[in-house]
Amino acid sequence: MDNLSEMLKGVLEGIVLEIISRGEIYGYEIVKYLTQMGFEGIAEGTVYALLMRLERNRLVNIVKKPSEMGPPRKFYTLNEQGREKLLSFWAKWDFLSSRIEILRHNGGNKHEL
Amino acid sequence: MSFSREIQERINRFTKEQSQNYLQDAEMTYIEKLRKKSGQTKRKIDKQLSKFKGRSDQGREAQDDMIIYMSDYMNDLMSQGLTEQEAFNKASEELQFASNSEQSEDLNERFQQYYENLDPADYEAIGLFYGGFLFLGLGIGGLTGFLTGGGYEAFFDKGWIDTAIGAGVGIIIGIGLGQITNAIIALKKK
Repeated sequence: MDNLSEMLKGVLEGIVLEIISRGEIYGYEIVKYLTQMGFEGIAEGTVYALLMRLERNRLVNIVKKPSEMGPPRKFYTLNEQGREKLLSFWAKWDFLSSRIEILRHNGGNKHEL
Repeated sequence: MSFSREIQERINRFTKEQSQNYLQDAEMTYIEKLRKKSGQTKRKIDKQLSKFKGRSDQGREAQDDMIIYMSDYMNDLMSQGLTEQEAFNKASEELQFASNSEQSEDLNERFQQYYENLDPADYEAIGLFYGGFLFLGLGIGGLTGFLTGGGYEAFFDKGWIDTAIGAGVGIIIGIGLGQITNAIIALKKK
């Protein structure tokens, strides 16, 4: 779907945390996963910067493994703080989506909100 | 898939420059900060500064991360039919630090975290620690100076000087202890 990037800005961190929660994964693998899911408009630089932020905010554990390209490759898994952040993201998402659904279906009737 | 020597050198140059932009100021050495701010005169300054320790561990690690990420991306593009040169151009365009948006996003997040963690009780406690240590230092320092200076009998002669020095040193120690407490509280809240 086109022009998703503006809407995704606020939720991309949650999406990436969810992907990392499924198991050990490296940086560009996340981009490929997102592309396979249909999130094609996300700039590669955005995911790279987001991963740096997750690391800086200590939301992920990192294991370095040798790579064929020279420097070691970083593999990410969620730590306790990351799992808490993910739970908090889904709670916010559930609240937001339920409110939007109510608005969408009862939009014509102010009293039913 | 490995790249030609020329492209590998260009990747190294690009990532060395751009990875620094993704780092926060706190993670950079003074030289790296200078490099970041030097803009168009970067190469000239780099040459001048090359004799000093120029790179932090984080700086090197950030470059390594970016090399791997960029190489993965380029390999992906090349598997879709792009040439090595085209893949490098596209990857460097996508990974170019979008300074305003990225930095403002980071700043927003840091401000948000700061205000979320802001607790007036912490500031009250820090103030009380400062005040407490200050009075304690003043009291103990003044008393020590008074007693070692000869007590009441010597006070009006030259003993008051010892009392004043003791009080001064006590105040400095009190402020120092206050600062240490402030630092401990700040680190615990981090």
